[in-house]
Amino acid sequence: MTGLEARVAPAPNVAVPPPVASRSRVGRITLLTVGLVVALVVATLVSASVGQLGISPAEVLRAVGRSIGLPVAGPSDDLVTQALWTIRFPRVVMALVIGAALAAAGVLMQAVFANPLADPGVVGVSGGAAFGACASIVFGLQFAGYWTTPLMAFAAGLVATMLVYGLSRAGGRTEVVTLLLTGIAVNAFTGAGLAFLTFLGDQQAREQIVFWQLGSLNGSMWDQAAAIAPVVGLGLVGSVVLTRSLDLLSLGDRAARHVGVRVEAVRIVAIVVVALLVGAAVAFAGIIAFVGLVVPHLMRMLIGPAHGPLLLVSTLGGALLLTIADLLARTLVPYADLPIGMLTSLVGGPFFFWLLRRARRRSGGWA
Amino acid sequence: MPSMPSRRRALLAAASALVVLAVATGCSAGGAPEQAGTAAARTADSATSATDPATSLQAIAPVTDAKSVTGASTATLTTDLPPKASTVDEPELPVTVTDNQDTEVTVTSADRILALDVYGTLSSTVYGLGLGGNLVGRDVSTGFAGTEELPLVTQNGHELSAEAILALRPTVLLTDTSLGPWDVVLQIRKAGIPVVVVDSHRDTSNTDRIIDQVATALGVPETGARLVDEVHEQQEAVAAQVARIAPQSKADKLRMVFLYVRGNAGIYYLFGQESGADSLIDAVGGRDIATEQDWKGMRPVNAEALVAMQSDLVIMMTKGLESVGGVDGLLQRVPAIAKTPAGQHRRIVDMADTTVMSFGPRTPEIVAALAVAIYAPEWSR
Repeated sequence: MTGLEARVAPAPNVAVPPPVASRSRVGRITLLTVGLVVALVVATLVSASVGQLGISPAEVLRAVGRSIGLPVAGPSDDLVTQALWTIRFPRVVMALVIGAALAAAGVLMQAVFANPLADPGVVGVSGGAAFGACASIVFGLQFAGYWTTPLMAFAAGLVATMLVYGLSRAGGRTEVVTLLLTGIAVNAFTGAGLAFLTFLGDQQAREQIVFWQLGSLNGSMWDQAAAIAPVVGLGLVGSVVLTRSLDLLSLGDRAARHVGVRVEAVRIVAIVVVALLVGAAVAFAGIIAFVGLVVPHLMRMLIGPAHGPLLLVSTLGGALLLTIADLLARTLVPYADLPIGMLTSLVGGPFFFWLLRRARRRSGGWA
Repeated sequence: MPSMPSRRRALLAAASALVVLAVATGCSAGGAPEQAGTAAARTADSATSATDPATSLQAIAPVTDAKSVTGASTATLTTDLPPKASTVDEPELPVTVTDNQDTEVTVTSADRILALDVYGTLSSTVYGLGLGGNLVGRDVSTGFAGTEELPLVTQNGHELSAEAILALRPTVLLTDTSLGPWDVVLQIRKAGIPVVVVDSHRDTSNTDRIIDQVATALGVPETGARLVDEVHEQQEAVAAQVARIAPQSKADKLRMVFLYVRGNAGIYYLFGQESGADSLIDAVGGRDIATEQDWKGMRPVNAEALVAMQSDLVIMMTKGLESVGGVDGLLQRVPAIAKTPAGQHRRIVDMADTTVMSFGPRTPEIVAALAVAIYAPEWSR
C-alpha cells in the first residue's frame, strides 16, 4: 500500500523525481502484465465459447475459423454461426471495452483527485449520466434517433464530472471530506432529478428508466461496440499521454508546478478523458459500479503507484474482471440474465469496506 | 385551528388549492396516454358488449400448418364494454364478508364504489354486475366506455393516493395487493371506509373467484353467480373454437413466448409460470416454452437462451413494441428474436398493455382476440 500513503500524504515540498522503477519492480510489472494478458486471453476464449446456446467450444472455434476464411468444416447449422456472431461475440467485446474503460477512468480519477476514494460512481458521475439518459427517455428526445439516449448519458456525465471537480476544489487542492460531500450532494441531486423524472414520465417511460438503470450487457450489438470503442480508445490514448504528468502531480501541486507541469490544464484534460471513458461505458450498459474503484487499488497494491504501469495493468485487469463478471451474469442461472451491475457491486461493496478498514488501521484514517 | 392567524389560514388554503390543482393536472396527464391507447385498440364498427366473443372465431378455418403463417398482427377487442350479467339485482346490504386476507368487513352501501387494481379487472367486474354507474373513480388501467370522465386516483401509474381516494367519499373500496403503498389502504380502512381485499392473482382460471368475491362484497351474490355462469359459457365456447382452429399435436402447436420489452436497454423480461401469460398461451392453444423450461414468474431472459427456445410466435404489449420502434425496430435491436422462427416470419402479436393481462369477465374476449390475431393475422392488421 505504498501508493496509498503517498497519495494520502504527499510531501509537497520535496522535489523527488517520479518513482524510479527498481529492478525487482520492473520484474513484478512484467510478470503481472504477462499474467494478466494470458488470463485475459483465456477468459475471452472461455467467454466466447460458453453460453446458454448449447454449442461446444470446438464448434465455436470452427465457426470462427470458417468466418475468417479458414478451410475448416463449419458447424452444420448456419444459425449457430449467425447467433454467435450477432449475439455472443459483440457482448464479449463490449465487456472487454467497458471493463478497460471503467478501470482506466478509476486510475485517472484517483490521480486527479489525489484521493483513493475517487470512483466514477462514488462521486456521482455515473448518476449524472443516468440523469441525462432518463431525461431523454421522459421527454421523448429523438434528435439523434437511437443514439439520443447514449449521447445524453455521455453529455450529462461530462457535466457532472465538471461539477464535482469544480465544487470539491478549495484553495487549489481537493480535500477528501469535501470530495465525498460533493459526491453525496451530486448523488442526492441526480437522485432527486431521477425521482422528478419518474414523476413526470408516464408508465412506459418509467419502465424504460427502470430497465436502463438495471444495466446489462445483454443485447449488445456490433454497432454499439463500434460506437464506443473509438471513444474508449481515444480516452486510453489520452490517459497514456497524461501518466507522466499525473506522476508529478502526485508529488503535490506546488512540486509539480516547480518541475513545469501545468497543473490545472492536466486536471481539466484528465477530467474530460474520464468523462469520455465513463460516458462511453455507461451509454449502453448502464451503471456498472466499483470496477473503477477496485481494480486500480488491487493493482497499486501489487506494483506500486507509478501511473504508466498502473494504467496498463489496470486496463487489462478491468477488462478481465468485467469479462469474468459478464460470463457469470449470463451463465449462472439457466435461461436468465443477471444484472451485471449487481454482480460487480456484490464483490465491490465488501472490498470497499475492507479497504476502508485497512487504510484506517495503517494510517489512522483519512480526514 | 381557531387560533391560527387569518393570513396564515389564507396561505394554507392557497397551498392546498395548489396541491389539489397539481393532483388534478397530474391525473389528467397520467391518464391521457392510457385512454388514447385503449381508444386505439377499439375497432370503430362496434360499441356493444352483446356479441358472443366465440362468434369472431367461427369464420376461421382450421389451421393445418400454423408454423407457415407469416406477418405481424395486433389483437384488438371488438367491444367497448365488458360483458354484463343478463339480469342484474339491486344490492342487498348491509353484508359482512371475510375478505381474501381474512379480514371481516361490513359493507353498508354500494352507492359510491372504488374498484382499483393494476389491470383494471375489478372495475370491469363491477360493471359486469350492473353497478358500473356507481363507480366514482378509476385506476390507470380502466378505460372502457363511460369511465373516461371518472377521476383517476392512482398517481405515478400504480400508486394510491389516500386523499384523492377519500375526497371521492367512496362507500366501499375494492382492491387487491397489486397497488400500493399498502399503508394507504390501511389509512383508508382507518378512516372508516370498508376495504375489501380481493384475490390478486390473475389468470384464466380464477375469474369465478374474483367475480364471486366482488359480487358478495357488493351484496349481489346472485347476479355474481349469473355472471360467472355466462362468462364460463363464453369461455367454453371460445375454448371449443380454439380447439377447432388450433393444431392439436404437440409438434404442430405454435411455440410461444410472452416477452416484455421497454426501450433499448437490452433487458427483456420473459413471462413464465404463475405470471398469467402462461394461462393465456395455454388458452390460445399454444405451447408455452417458458413453462416447459420451468421458468417461473417474470425475469430478465438471456439473449442466447431466447435463441435456444426457437419460438414460433412472440406475444408483446403494444406500448412495449412501440418503445423499440415496432416490429422492424424489434428485429433490428433484438437480434436474438431475429434468429428465431418468430423473427424470421415476423410472427409478433401485440395487444394493448392494459388489456392483454386484465383477465376477469373479459377473459373470453381477450382469448378470442388473441386467437384471431394468431390464427387469422390478416384480419387484425
